[in-house]
Amino acid sequence: MDRVLLHVDIAGLHMKNPVTVGSGCFAAGREYSAFIDLAALGAVTTKGVSLHGWPGNEGIRITETPSGMLNSIGLQNPGVDHLINEDLPWLAAKGATVIVNVAGHSVDEYVKVIERLEDSKAQLDAYEVNISCPNVDEGAMSFGSDPKMAGEVIAACRAVTDKTLIAKLTPNVTDITVIAEAVEEAGADAVSLINSVIGMAIDAKTRRSVLARGVGGLSGPAIKPIALGMVWQCYKAIDIPIIGIGGIRTGIDAVEFLLAGARAVAVGCANFLEPTVTLEVIDGIEQYCIEQGVSDVNELVGALEW
Amino acid sequence: MPVIQRDCTIVAHKHLTGDLWRLELKAAYIAPLVKPGQFVHLRIPGFEQHILRRPFSVYQVDVEKQAICIIYRVVGKGTKHMTELAVGTDVDLIGPTGRPWRIPEGAKKILVIGAGVGAAPVYLLTEEACACGIDVSVVLGAQTHEELIFEDEYRALGANVVCTTDDGSYGIAGFCTDAAKDLALKAQDEGAPFEYCAVCGPLPVMRITAGFTRDMGIPCEVSMEKRMACGIGACLSCVLDTIDGKKRACVDGPVFDANEVEW
Repeated sequence: MDRVLLHVDIAGLHMKNPVTVGSGCFAAGREYSAFIDLAALGAVTTKGVSLHGWPGNEGIRITETPSGMLNSIGLQNPGVDHLINEDLPWLAAKGATVIVNVAGHSVDEYVKVIERLEDSKAQLDAYEVNISCPNVDEGAMSFGSDPKMAGEVIAACRAVTDKTLIAKLTPNVTDITVIAEAVEEAGADAVSLINSVIGMAIDAKTRRSVLARGVGGLSGPAIKPIALGMVWQCYKAIDIPIIGIGGIRTGIDAVEFLLAGARAVAVGCANFLEPTVTLEVIDGIEQYCIEQGVSDVNELVGALEW
Repeated sequence: MPVIQRDCTIVAHKHLTGDLWRLELKAAYIAPLVKPGQFVHLRIPGFEQHILRRPFSVYQVDVEKQAICIIYRVVGKGTKHMTELAVGTDVDLIGPTGRPWRIPEGAKKILVIGAGVGAAPVYLLTEEACACGIDVSVVLGAQTHEELIFEDEYRALGANVVCTTDDGSYGIAGFCTDAAKDLALKAQDEGAPFEYCAVCGPLPVMRITAGFTRDMGIPCEVSMEKRMACGIGACLSCVLDTIDGKKRACVDGPVFDANEVEW
């Protein structure tokens, strides 16, 4: 069999393969470039960036849980100017395709971050609007858990950019398809899901929460079935492409997301255990296609059988 | 730059005392790169539902045997599982990682404090300093005699070793910080003060040491222990507050200037 076609198109965002990384699990790629060629990824998704930077939450910020981990980083970031001046030129030099994850405490902040990036002419390929982080008090998940507010943020971002606009959705809602439909209606080109699931760890000995803020975001293999279920629900509800996220560690994990309806996937905290995991996921997808006689990875999207 | 080595073989593994264990690994690529104070990030084999590596400071390096040795304390499920790893098992390591200890250029006399399992991350530093002809005083502290480790190993390096136990069951009775401060004051009185201090141990030990060394004008470094996820600087899990804002224990540390840390 000839080489498998791995290229996917997320509403104008061209990815050479369907694998990117979960925002916040990869910083801006610098640390991982010691282990992998960033240009080999479908895209690098950078850590959530706000207008002037945020200090993040107090520690303890992480704890391991059965087949997963809880985090409460709180979107610590140095602000959009640092991304523009330091990280984006560096990523461009590496030949990486770049999705910039955008965070804000207000609609205005999201818009200003994107405007600043647009004005800078920095090289980037898409925006992922973070309306789903569970670890900040204002903005983020509070926008993403209300269809009207989610639509408002996306519409405001849509008005200031022609680049591919991805809305990153939270699973911490009654019905994720309602939010997905709202952001599609508001002009999102694609959705990515899921962000982390609200969870808690308690130390019975000390009778205290392990994380300083009490609750945090659960990620890892523990949430994969939740994510797969929500990708499948959204695939049936909306027409725009989906990037599937949640507990992906292998090519087969990724293929499951594609079958459920995702056109691409993001590998999140598996990078922490294994800095080369993204390359293994890409190889694993290709291997699956060869074994299954699939010549184009796009054939797998939503190809779940009954 | 750290490297990944997937075939680090366990060559020795033994219980030391209490909840402390000693693990020796053949790591041909990593061993020659290790600088004193750096750590390795270990993927625990046969522990698949646990998704994070565990960081351990390097205690000893045997360049000839291409081996590194770590000392670990059983604190949770991961380290409990580690105790069952047999000699011959292959272990996946990333390392060496982090900023090493930095003895000021030209220092002739230094003070090293290792409290509890903190005796391990200062061993390579002491070895290097002794080999360079630096006069090294080492204060080893533990709660009890049984928990005191590596007195013989430090003596074998030629360091001046003082032991303390909180319960008075061995050496000087009391906290290692009191004994260390007494040593530092005595050296100062004799006109030959310490020119550097390295301390690793529980947070209060490092905080108190940071305080008296600052008062005496002795440059001091501390090795900070924080929960880590990626261990390479990306995830921002292991940050601590410093006078220059939040810094990552994994790559900006684990060794920090004591005056830089917001205690």
